[in-house]
Amino acid sequence: MNGSSTTKILTAGAVAGLAGIVATLFVSGRERFWVNWIVWFLFVLTTGLGCFFIVALEHVVGARWSVPLRRVPEKLSSLVLLMAPAALLALFSLPAIYSWTRPESLDNPMIAGKAGWLNIPFFSLRAFLCVVLWLLSYRILVTGSYRQDRERDHRFNMRARRFAPLFMAIFAFTITIVAFDWISSLEPEWYSDIFGVYLFAGTFLAGLAATTLALLHLMDRKRLPGLGPDHVYNLGGFLFAFTVFWSYIGFAQYMLMWYANLPEEVFWYKERLEGLWGPLLLALAVFHFFIPFFVLIPRDAKSDPKRLRIVAGVVLFAHWLDLYWMIFPVLGKGPLFGWPELSFLVLFVSCGFLWIRRALGRGADMPVGDPFLQEGLGFRL
Amino acid sequence: MSRRIFSILGLFDDVQRLMDAIPVVKAKTGARLDAYTPYPVHGIDKALGLRKSPVGGMVFIMGLLGALAGVGFELWTSGVDYPLIAAGKPVLSWEAFVPIMFEVTVLFATFTAGLGMLLLLNRLPFFRHPMLRAKSMPLITRDKFALAVESDGGELDEDAIIAVLRNAGARSIEVIEQPAPPGPLSPDFLMRVAVAIAISCGVAGYLTYWAMKLFPISVPVVHMLDQPRLNPQTQNSFFRDESGMRLPVAGTVARGHMPYSIREPDDPAVPANPLPASEPVLKEGRKAFEIYCSVCHGILGDGAGSLTAAYGAKPANLSSRAIRDYTDGKIHHAIVAGKNAMPSYAAELTEDERWSVVHYVRALQRALNAKDEDIPKEVRK
Repeated sequence: MNGSSTTKILTAGAVAGLAGIVATLFVSGRERFWVNWIVWFLFVLTTGLGCFFIVALEHVVGARWSVPLRRVPEKLSSLVLLMAPAALLALFSLPAIYSWTRPESLDNPMIAGKAGWLNIPFFSLRAFLCVVLWLLSYRILVTGSYRQDRERDHRFNMRARRFAPLFMAIFAFTITIVAFDWISSLEPEWYSDIFGVYLFAGTFLAGLAATTLALLHLMDRKRLPGLGPDHVYNLGGFLFAFTVFWSYIGFAQYMLMWYANLPEEVFWYKERLEGLWGPLLLALAVFHFFIPFFVLIPRDAKSDPKRLRIVAGVVLFAHWLDLYWMIFPVLGKGPLFGWPELSFLVLFVSCGFLWIRRALGRGADMPVGDPFLQEGLGFRL
Repeated sequence: MSRRIFSILGLFDDVQRLMDAIPVVKAKTGARLDAYTPYPVHGIDKALGLRKSPVGGMVFIMGLLGALAGVGFELWTSGVDYPLIAAGKPVLSWEAFVPIMFEVTVLFATFTAGLGMLLLLNRLPFFRHPMLRAKSMPLITRDKFALAVESDGGELDEDAIIAVLRNAGARSIEVIEQPAPPGPLSPDFLMRVAVAIAISCGVAGYLTYWAMKLFPISVPVVHMLDQPRLNPQTQNSFFRDESGMRLPVAGTVARGHMPYSIREPDDPAVPANPLPASEPVLKEGRKAFEIYCSVCHGILGDGAGSLTAAYGAKPANLSSRAIRDYTDGKIHHAIVAGKNAMPSYAAELTEDERWSVVHYVRALQRALNAKDEDIPKEVRK
């Protein structure tokens, strides 16, 4: 399939998806529309943020092996730009699906006690703040890297290395805000301190999976000359390690709540284990942990493009399933997947791919101005 | 006696010559090769054709065994051997097993990796590796690269191999002889180990003795004693009545407790025996009777127990006419409330056990006052 016909298909998909979601708004009601919106914008946003985190991580630790492939997560992290307006649009969902926005919710002392944090003006301010911080960081870390391609200015590395630790703090702050505000506050009585870390684990994994898929795609097309199995192996190792991290955090949150059995914590899991949600959680464990973990155990698997592609695809799907499992039960029904969900899938996936194709086509495929590029290309295990 | 050769070393000036020589020597000699270099050389293990390390497989299997051992032990101890309810959870709560299963997995896996590598694969402690006495060793640790053609137990054609190494570019040659085999448990080695253990035990014991004597820290854990709490029978201003002990809430009933409010043995409200006179009930009753009742009432309930003579008391003959005319409820009342010198056995026997004892007493009564009709027809002559 050549490039332009793919673009045509994706554009058609985006248009059809758009029509589908508009129909959803009028036919299935605004609750279902906004719940879908939250799931999908968070899925694309966190995938982009995960890639952004990979970029910053390289600058923080001064990694050299990842310099030649840094442009891949840099390009993918532009998904954050695509999702910035979607995040602001999502503010319209507050009265529809966030129960704390209703005046009668203040009768509940638990929610009334959180009213200082959970109110529409402050919530919107936090959402704006997150978007602004991401855009600023993007400008410094990613746009600066593109500029280095032309100007060969070595001072960029120093600037990035100085800024990256600060970005880590910004990232920790904003990802926690995203987790607490957009997901956790759907059930405003619920408490979980570790929830931000849980979303971070999923975010980083999704970023790694997207980076791995895009990297293998570009390597197939010989656009990353000099990158070998050793570089791919490192990405595979990261993917392997962080499936365990996600499971560890996810299980820690579950087990502590299960043990303590406090009503204001455990109801969240109770809702998410009832009916078909229980088997869905099992499926989540299989796709998010068991398949990636056991497939990636052998040494060769971590640099084998075929197995890595499967694992990365499974991990991305599992990240979506994770968000779906956390967010959809707020509708108070079993798992729903009908044409509204399908049109959201088509819209966001088409737009995401259109955006990524555009991003992958722009600028050099490697950070050609980075003084450590040669050293990174020489990396061997 | 012909000398046995361990390996023949060819020393090369730089790593490129070494890497070029490996395939040549390998093709011409067909012997097992090894290399000694001042620093790790990437890809040399593949060039030498060294076998893949079995550590990964060992760790995987032992990790799985560790998981099984952990979860199996937990299932056995807290589910089968001594079913224990903790924190109101079901007996077999897999959630509580996961952390321990995880830790045991890690324990087995790390010990296998560390000890398996050192003891099984590298056969440590091993002080007699022939290479340690090679004259070229100081050069190899500095700037020379050695390729070793190893004998692998068989004979080596010394002159031919030296010629091959010379032709492949080796600057100098060293032939390393196989030392006389010391045997796996040579006396000098065992002696040294034993002496080392004895000396370390002595030193450690001596130091510990003086450390404890000079710095009396021998009550290391006082944390549980030293904590803020209300002791029983103490005054405390926290509660309004200034007592550290609390009474149960009015109307509290202990779990499994059956209130018994009858005061008089002839009260018409004494309950009837709720249990059937079945074989398991009689067995249960016999067990309880023989533990608690028989010491005074006698193993047959005839009032001739082992303690009767010692204390000069006259326990009732349970088979007497007076007691045979008792209702079940009246016997039960005697167990609960006591009678004459007999104390209450309510604390020792559960509700069901008491009623089982009543059935057993009835059986004893019938046995000691048996009539002809009590003998089964087919036995009667």
